Amino acid sequence: MRVAIAEDSVLLREGVARLLDEGGFDVVAQCENADDLMAKVRSFPPDVVIMDIRLPPTHNDEGLRAALELRASHPSVGVLVLSQYVEVGLALKLLADSAEGVGYLLKDRVSDVNDFVAAVRRVGEGGSALDPVIVSTLLARQRPDDPIAQLTPREREVLELMASGSSNQGIAESLVITVRAVEKYVSSIFSKLGLPSTGSESRRVLAVLLYLRS
Amino acid sequence: MGAALGEPLVIALLAKWLTVSYILCGLFAWWRRPDSRFGPLMVAAGFANFISTLSWTTSDVTFTLGQAFDLLPPVLFMHVFLAFPSGHLRDRFERVLVASAYGAAIVLQVTRMTFGFFGPHNLLEITANEDAALLTLRVSLLTMSAFCLAAVGVLVLRRRRRGMLRRSRVLVVDAFALGLVMIACLYVFAAFDWPAVREIRWATFATLSLAPLVFLAALLKARLARSAVGDLVLELRSEPAPDDLRDSLARALGDPSLQLAYWLPDYECYADRLGQLVELEDLDGRATTLIDRGGEHVAALIHDPALEDEPELLDSVRAAAGIALENGRLHAELRARLEELRGSRARIVEAAQNERQLLERNLHDGAQQRLIALSLNLSLLRGRIDGDPEIKAAIDQARREIAASLNELREIARGIHPAVVSGHGLAVALEQLAARAPVRAELRVEIDGRLPEPLEVAAYYVVSESLANVAKHAQATTARIDVLKEHDELVLEIVDDGIGGADSERGSGLRGLADRVEALNGRLRVWTPRGGGTRVKAEIPCA
Repeated sequence: MRVAIAEDSVLLREGVARLLDEGGFDVVAQCENADDLMAKVRSFPPDVVIMDIRLPPTHNDEGLRAALELRASHPSVGVLVLSQYVEVGLALKLLADSAEGVGYLLKDRVSDVNDFVAAVRRVGEGGSALDPVIVSTLLARQRPDDPIAQLTPREREVLELMASGSSNQGIAESLVITVRAVEKYVSSIFSKLGLPSTGSESRRVLAVLLYLRS
Repeated sequence: MGAALGEPLVIALLAKWLTVSYILCGLFAWWRRPDSRFGPLMVAAGFANFISTLSWTTSDVTFTLGQAFDLLPPVLFMHVFLAFPSGHLRDRFERVLVASAYGAAIVLQVTRMTFGFFGPHNLLEITANEDAALLTLRVSLLTMSAFCLAAVGVLVLRRRRRGMLRRSRVLVVDAFALGLVMIACLYVFAAFDWPAVREIRWATFATLSLAPLVFLAALLKARLARSAVGDLVLELRSEPAPDDLRDSLARALGDPSLQLAYWLPDYECYADRLGQLVELEDLDGRATTLIDRGGEHVAALIHDPALEDEPELLDSVRAAAGIALENGRLHAELRARLEELRGSRARIVEAAQNERQLLERNLHDGAQQRLIALSLNLSLLRGRIDGDPEIKAAIDQARREIAASLNELREIARGIHPAVVSGHGLAVALEQLAARAPVRAELRVEIDGRLPEPLEVAAYYVVSESLANVAKHAQATTARIDVLKEHDELVLEIVDDGIGGADSERGSGLRGLADRVEALNGRLRVWTPRGGGTRVKAEIPCA
């Protein structure tokens, strides 16, 4: 899988490149800013781009704008955005239309090497990765007659993993249960929350995100 | 030129009247305005007209003198009209125009006289050449009419450029322009010996003699304008006093373009009633009258230069408005001080803001990045160690410590400056506040695009501090956050359903918020009836 990285801190950029290299990825481009990244993606699109949300020159919204532009112009390229703060508002912006091939993680996650590599692979394959902090913030949000409270602890665990973008296979592996059991939990969750069940795993990320946000 | 019987008499009478009216009006203007050159100029025009009538005499010397000056009166009229009202020509172009008209009037007429056909009294006749005489006659008449039309052009331009001329003055300028048009017309007709020259000549003389009457009327109207001063005195005594003294003065002076500036001694400058600086230099085509009391500056009137012809009016308005002007001056000074204070408060808040932004940025680019890289390297190191669970456990422990530090740093950085607001705007940042709110929070944001950063940051703090207060004191279950733009104001409202009765003690945070909001010219209000919830409302201008 071909990866491009955009990150202005050399220390971190090289560290991430090394860990992906060791994880069997082909790091095809390392960029310092959004313009450079866009040019490289245009000439040779990788499978997935890993980028900081705060990029030079102003460190304001260049990273996010580049990510949204990439999502629109190169739908086949997965975009994994890293940030030192993950915020609900930014997640909603990034996943506005679809959760396919997009990820938004706290930058700290790079050091959980296995999880991070899995997330990069998932996004590169058209899946999604949403930081657990976002999911738990949204789950903790106060609601009237909270339907979340009606979920069993196991269902809640499944919901968190599902909202983070895990596939049924991934959830089964994390919780050490069978895929069939996961499927049962998922359909139970959807009916308790009153959500229509959606086929694709990344489509349900968006559905759950919007449900939790409202 | 065909001369009918009786014409000489009519023309003689009109010419006398013209001479007398210009001299009398000129003398009157001279007496009323000894400083203005306009009066003397009118008198000169009258005399020039008189000299040209000497051509009707039969003495060789006076006849020749009168004929030589025959074309001079139109140039003097033109000079008078262009020099109205100060007696001075305004620019180089006008001076060149008038000077060349004088030159042409003498040179052309004298040249023409050398070719004869002026009768027996012409002392300047050198040869009698009919063709040359006719040609020079036509050239000189057409040249003079061209000069007159050029002057009309100047008057028209002047009127259009200065849209706010006072009415009486517009009338005078119109009368002058009409007179010049008539002269030009008369000369063209005469040059080609077209019909009705006689009638046009009468009409021209009549029009020209009208001009001093209109001028006289305008002068007298200035006296009448003094009654407006009486109105001003009444207006200034009325309760409440007029809000803007300028309007009252503009009415009394009959100058809608009037500007009033007050002297601010501490700042050594003039300012308007709102305390904004007013420059007295570089006032294009405007006149300034300074008003002093007891050797101290009080105010300055910036007005139509035509008012300088009515010094009595200016003086009486100045006298009538004395105390009111002093009050206005104090008011303007107060406003200027307030403005200065507000500016310095905004600067202090902005400086603090910039410092915090820089701090947050340094944390982000420095410590946070390094810690993440460190944790990543430890992870990679751990992957290479075979066996030895003790070392692995130590590395895991170190990574947990780093993760905890990173979380702490993140909270500190967020407290120092909300980077998401600067980077992505208020609407995006408020999502997180609403999601993390301790009670059920309904967020409604109705603003398009970005607002100025200081404003967004202040708004963010208003919401975040208000929600923090809800968590600490309100015992509420829900909160509503409304953010919208209304009449060029950003309006924020945070309402909870808690116990209300928030006292000011708990609100040191609220005081800080009020400072932030007021530094941006906005205001923050809090309603907190006991048992009735708390409502915080901030309104910040964002034109």
